[in-house]
Amino acid sequence: MAQSTSSSGDGGSLLLAVDRVLGRIESVFNDIGSVFIFALMWLTMAEVIGRRLFNSPVPGAIDYIETGMVTFAFMGAAFCQRSGGHVRMDLLVTNLRARLLWAVESLAIAVAIAYVGIIVWASCQDAWRSYSLGDETLDAHLTIWPSKLVVPIALMLLELRLLVNMWGYLRLLVLPDAEPWAVPQIMHVEDVAQEQIRDVLGKIDGPSNSPPGR
Amino acid sequence: MDPLTAGLVACGGVIILTLLGVRIAFAAGITGVLGLIAVRGWGPGTGMAGLLAYQEATHYTLSVLPMFILIGYLAFHAGLTQGAFYSARCWFGRLPGGLAVATVFAAAGFGAVSGASTASAAVFSRVAIPEMLRYGYDKRLAAATVAAGGTLASLIPPSAILVIYGIIVEQSVGALLLAGFIPGAISAVNYALIIIVWCKINPKLAAPMPDVSWKEKFRSLGQTWGILAVIGIILGGLYTGWMTPTEVGGAGAFIMFCLALAHRTKLSAIWEAIRETSKLSVMIFTIIWSILILVRFLGFTGVPATVSEYIGGLHMPRLAILLMILGMYFVLGMFLDGIGMLLLTLPVVYPIIIKLGYDPIWFGIIIVKMVEIGLVTPPVGLNCFVVNGVRPDIPLSTVFAGIWPFVVADCLTIGLLIAFPDIVTFLPATMGNGGG
Repeated sequence: MAQSTSSSGDGGSLLLAVDRVLGRIESVFNDIGSVFIFALMWLTMAEVIGRRLFNSPVPGAIDYIETGMVTFAFMGAAFCQRSGGHVRMDLLVTNLRARLLWAVESLAIAVAIAYVGIIVWASCQDAWRSYSLGDETLDAHLTIWPSKLVVPIALMLLELRLLVNMWGYLRLLVLPDAEPWAVPQIMHVEDVAQEQIRDVLGKIDGPSNSPPGR
Repeated sequence: MDPLTAGLVACGGVIILTLLGVRIAFAAGITGVLGLIAVRGWGPGTGMAGLLAYQEATHYTLSVLPMFILIGYLAFHAGLTQGAFYSARCWFGRLPGGLAVATVFAAAGFGAVSGASTASAAVFSRVAIPEMLRYGYDKRLAAATVAAGGTLASLIPPSAILVIYGIIVEQSVGALLLAGFIPGAISAVNYALIIIVWCKINPKLAAPMPDVSWKEKFRSLGQTWGILAVIGIILGGLYTGWMTPTEVGGAGAFIMFCLALAHRTKLSAIWEAIRETSKLSVMIFTIIWSILILVRFLGFTGVPATVSEYIGGLHMPRLAILLMILGMYFVLGMFLDGIGMLLLTLPVVYPIIIKLGYDPIWFGIIIVKMVEIGLVTPPVGLNCFVVNGVRPDIPLSTVFAGIWPFVVADCLTIGLLIAFPDIVTFLPATMGNGGG
C-alpha cells in the first residue's frame, strides 16, 4: 500500500481505485434489491387479483416474499453506507474540525466494523445451521439456506465498505488537510435538505407556474 | 454485574455512541449483541443475534415498507401535484389566506400517496410558493405553510413511520394505518383554521383570490382521481380486511406506476425511483433488525419492565407523565431524525405508556404527531431547510418565524386527541378481520 500510494503524493490513489471497484459491486447489489422490490409489486398485484377476483391465490406467495425480502433488506446496506444514508445524530461531528473530527469518525467506524463483523460471523453460523437441518418454508417448501446465506454475503460487502471508510479516515488523520476520499460526506442539515431536493425536484410534474391540466 | 445494571449500562452506552456520531443502527446493534454475549455467552449470544437479524428483517409485515416508499417516489412522476393544487385552489381559494389553505389540503392529498414529509415540502415549495407570492402573500406565511403542510405526509397513509412503530411495538400495522387517516385530516383542518384566523387578524398577509365557477370546481376534481383511487384502495382494502398492508401498498404502487407511464415518464427515471426506494428501504431495515437485537437484550435485563414499574408507581396523574414524555419528544425532535428518535426511545417508553393504560394504537398516532413537530422546529427542522433550499430568496429565519402558528395548531390537535381518544381508535376498532 505504501508503495503504490507514494506515487500520488498524499497517499490515496490505491484507496480511490479500491473505492471505485467496491462501489460498482455495491451498486449491483443494490440493483438486485431494486429488482426484487419491483417484482414484489407485481406479485402482490397478482395475489390480490387472483385471490379476490378468481379465488385462486398465488400458491405460497408469502413464502416467496419472505425468502426474497432478504435482498432488499440487506443487499443495499453497503451502497447505503457509501452514500452516508444510514441515519445518525451528527450534532457533535458537524461541530468538530480537522484531526479531532477524523479521530471521532474513525472511532465511530471502528464500532461499526466490530458490530458488522460479529453479525457476519453469526449469520454465517445461522445459514450453516439452516443448511445442515435442511430447513424449508411451511407452505411452498422452499429451501431456506440460500436466502439466509445472502445475509453474511451482503454484510461482508458492508464490512469491506466500512474498512475502506476506516482507511479513508486514517489517511485523513495523518493528512488532515487532504481532500476527503472514500468517506461519506458529513451531512449538515443544509446538505440533507439539498439532497432531498435533488432527489425530488426535476422529477415533479412540469414547470411550477404552468396552467392546470397535465 | 446483575442484569438490571447491565441493561442500564447498555442504555448509557447507546446514548454515548449515538452522541459520538455512530450510525444509530450500529450503536444500538453493537450494544445489543455485546449484551447478549455478556448474559448468554459467546455461542448462544451470537447465535441469537444471527437468527434475529434474518428473522426480523424478513418478516412478511415489513414487506409493506418498500411498497409504501415506492408509491411516494413514483408519485412524483405521476403528475399529481399540479392537479391537486389546482383543485384545492378552486375549492378553497376564496377563503381568507385561500391559497395557503389550498396548499395545506393539496399537501394532505399528496400525503395520501406519499409518506415522505421532506419530499412533499420540496414539491410544494416549487408548486405553491410561486403562486402565493404572485398574489402578494407574505413570505413567512407562504414558506411556513409549505414546511408545515409537508409534515402531513407522515401521518396520512401510506406512512412508513407508522409501519415502523407497529413493527417495534408489535401492533397491527393495518389498524395503525387506518387510525392515521382521521387525525391526519384533523391536522390539515387545524392548519387551515390557523391560517384563516391569522389572515383575519392581519388581512395584509394575503390578498383575496377571484372566485371560480362551480362547474370548474367539479371539473378540477377530475385531476385528482389518481389520489382518490389510492385513498380508496388503502382505506377500503384495510378496512374490509380484504388486503394486507403489503397488498394495499403493492396496488398503490402499481397505480402510480401506470400513472407515471401514462404521464410519459422515461423508464430510466422509473428505474431510478426504484433504486432510491431500495436505498431508503435498506436503511430502515438495517436500523430495525439492529434495534430488535437491542430490544431482545433489554428484555433479558428487565430494564423496560423495571422502568415502567417505577414510573407507574409514582404518585402522579398519568396525564402529567404523558405530558412529560411528550415534552421529551419535543426536545429530542429538535435534534434527532424522526425514525432514529422513535426507534431509540420506544423500547423503554412504550412499556411505560402501556403501564399507564394508554391505547397502543392511539399512542402511535400521538408520537407521529411529535415527529411531525420535530420536522419544523428550529434549530434542525428539516422541512424548513428544504423550503429555504428550494427558495434561497426566503431566508431560513423567515421560514422559522412563520412556523409557530402551525406548531400551535399541532399542539391543539394533540390536545384534542388526548381529550377524545376515540377519534383515533373508533375506525380501527370497527375494521374487518383478515388484514394484517
